[in-house]
Amino acid sequence: MNIDNTASQMRKGVLEFCILSVIKQGEAYPSDIIDKMRTANLNIFEGTLYPLLTRLKNAEFLTYRWVESNSGPPRKYFSLTEKGDAFYKELEATWNELANAVKALSDAEQQHTSNANFNNPQ
Amino acid sequence: MKQVININFHGQIVPIEVSAFDLLKLYTASLANYFKNEEGKEEIINDIESRIAELFQERLKKGVTCITDDDVNAIIKSMGRPEEFEGDEPSSFTQSSTTSAEDTGAGQAQSAIPNTSAYKRLYRDENDKVLGGVCAGLANYFNMDRTIIRVIFVILIFSFGFGLIPYIILWIALPSSATSIIGGTRKRLFRDPDDKKIAGVCSGIGNYFGINPWIPRLLFLLPFLSVVFNWSHWGFGDFGHFLRVGFSPGALFIYIILWLVIPEAGTTAEKLEMKGSKVDLNTIKNSVVEEMKGMQSRAEKLGHEARAFAETKGKIIGAEMGSAVKRSSRSFGDVIVFIVKAFAYFIIGCFGFAFVIALFAFAIVSIGIFPLKDFLLTEGWQNILAWGTLIFFIAVPVIGIITWIIRKLAKIKSNRKAIRFTFISLWIIGWACFIFLLASLSKDFRSSSSINEEEIRLSNPAITKLEITTNSPDKKYYRNNWLKFEPFESLNDDTANVRNIFVKILKSPNDSFRVTMMKIACGQNRRTADTLARLINFNAFQKDSLIILDKGIAINKTDKFRNQRIVLTVYVPVGKQIRIDKSVGWGNEVHFGINDNNDVDIDDEERGWDQNVNYVMRANGLYTLNGKPADDWKNGNKDNKNDDGDENNNNDEPKKSTNGGDNYRYNNTTPKIDSLKMKLEKEQQQYKDSLIKEQNEIKRKQEENQQKLKKINVITQTQIPESGDSYSLQSYSPLACIGLI
Repeated sequence: MNIDNTASQMRKGVLEFCILSVIKQGEAYPSDIIDKMRTANLNIFEGTLYPLLTRLKNAEFLTYRWVESNSGPPRKYFSLTEKGDAFYKELEATWNELANAVKALSDAEQQHTSNANFNNPQ
Repeated sequence: MKQVININFHGQIVPIEVSAFDLLKLYTASLANYFKNEEGKEEIINDIESRIAELFQERLKKGVTCITDDDVNAIIKSMGRPEEFEGDEPSSFTQSSTTSAEDTGAGQAQSAIPNTSAYKRLYRDENDKVLGGVCAGLANYFNMDRTIIRVIFVILIFSFGFGLIPYIILWIALPSSATSIIGGTRKRLFRDPDDKKIAGVCSGIGNYFGINPWIPRLLFLLPFLSVVFNWSHWGFGDFGHFLRVGFSPGALFIYIILWLVIPEAGTTAEKLEMKGSKVDLNTIKNSVVEEMKGMQSRAEKLGHEARAFAETKGKIIGAEMGSAVKRSSRSFGDVIVFIVKAFAYFIIGCFGFAFVIALFAFAIVSIGIFPLKDFLLTEGWQNILAWGTLIFFIAVPVIGIITWIIRKLAKIKSNRKAIRFTFISLWIIGWACFIFLLASLSKDFRSSSSINEEEIRLSNPAITKLEITTNSPDKKYYRNNWLKFEPFESLNDDTANVRNIFVKILKSPNDSFRVTMMKIACGQNRRTADTLARLINFNAFQKDSLIILDKGIAINKTDKFRNQRIVLTVYVPVGKQIRIDKSVGWGNEVHFGINDNNDVDIDDEERGWDQNVNYVMRANGLYTLNGKPADDWKNGNKDNKNDDGDENNNNDEPKKSTNGGDNYRYNNTTPKIDSLKMKLEKEQQQYKDSLIKEQNEIKRKQEENQQKLKKINVITQTQIPESGDSYSLQSYSPLACIGLI
């Protein structure tokens, strides 16, 4: 079993959710998204972001408008569609479920070990 | 000095260095290749490109005059290469470089370049290639001059034809340097896990060459089909056939090696790389055109260099002369050390190479004789052991060594321990098989049959000349095989003919010819040996003055080969002639076992005779018709031998022991210290002489060069304007030729 691969698979799974959460806060330009993700300590290549955005847009979860820029070519600003909003809610629910489940499982594990070590439940 | 061009990149005018532009083009091409199956391909690439354009603009705003290689590399790092996409986290290194990409980025851009060169891997060098860039890549890897490697390869190709095969293998196996620089559009050879029958080797090859995977599959299958139809076809360990992949068991070896060496295409990026762009006529044409351009510029460069060389040479030699004497001793020492080192490496390399080749040859020979095993081995355990020996004892180390070499060269590191462990344990199994096989076989050869002579009836024993020949005297033709198993005259499904026929000539006690025949065999005990000896079906009959023999002893699969042999004894009366035809052979011995307890020696045997020569028997032995004794030794040292009393103690071959010259030479060459000293002194003197000579030579050259320099100065001053292009390809053609190699 390849551990690196597992970790990257995990990250891959939540990328779309993360992108949608950033965009939900307001219209966003790709490099804004990257910056925000970076400040949240989730590092991805810009090259990974663009295809994801295009796929989401093609699935009609996102829409964009052109904004003239004074530094370079016009920029695409992305925002959520109604459909995208619904999709986001769905993802959010799934995520919370998952997070709770993982938390519960790993907490149980921790309690178990502390029980074994100290013979003294908290 | 770099050329800068202006490009229109997504509506922005960008001044960019030509080389940086090339990098950019390669990168976008690799993107296009990566996303070519994606639905919104154009859009994705457009987005990425416009982001790059924005980053360029940011840089230009900071006052940079143009976009350089370093800028492009940094941007590519922050965007990520296609094979890094799909959510892989950038490593800490790339992270730092992406954050600093917003800065001017002089320091960070530098760090990007050593990163590619510090990690040394064997690549084909696309920038300085002649054919496939293999030699240039090797030269880079070993830090040697590429010309040397090229010359070595060319010598190998022309002298043995060896060089060609490794070159082609390396060409296919090594990744191109283009893929290392940038995402790259070049294809790589992978095993295809999606369309595999055994390990995906064939479909991978199919993908690489853009052909249907069934074509390589069929090529690999052919030898096995030919086994079904005609197995004796490859039964002769024919080297030529071995190399013709389609028709030999070599295909199996090649398949296994490829399986071990070629990586499997695991990720999407690798799968895309595997399919790559199709190699069609157009791309070939393009690469040829590029190549021609490269050659032209190389020739021009050589022209310029030649001029500069001529101008500076005079000065350099002058400067060097000042300390010539001092330097010469040191540099000569260096040279000697270098030569000694090179020689040592050469010897070691030769030994290693010879070892591998010997192993390989051994493998080929054993595959060649393997079909004969049914004539030797009993069913059951021996058969299993034979297969075990062939596969584990012989094939495993060959495959192991080849795999090791290729992995070493390509620096594949994964699973090294596991592979080594597997190979070694398999080889140990092979050893066990081999030893048990030998042990069980020697049991079958333990005892030999009793000697019993039978007479061949001659209708006219008083003829003057007897000739011994076989029933296929003149028609013997040779297969044009690289490796022949001479003793096996013919081989078909259940009979092999073994030419274990020995002819011995004796002096007849009376005045008539007499011919006897002994049939000898081995077996587990004397009884089985006797039975086998009796079963030998070998005919010899007389026809006029000829004794006609069968061409070999027929061995069949039920009775097996147990050292069956025929000893034919011819008694020649004094004054009569004898001739042994060449077709009888030299008793080419096919024979198993170390102790020769079934060898037959006969008293007073005549030795030293040749085939196809007429001999006449005299009172003291055989003579040729013009009076030369057949056995020099016997006659020349007659006294000596009589002293010994029993001449037959000496079973050596006469020719070997005739010239005691060997011993004589040994005594004389034992080196004595004095002579060594003298030799040394002589050498030293010679060395000194040559040094002085060289010194004079250098002086002379220097003068010459100074004169030339004056001339050149005059010429260059007058002729520089039109001398540019047609300068010196001719005068430097040897160099240019080497460059072409």
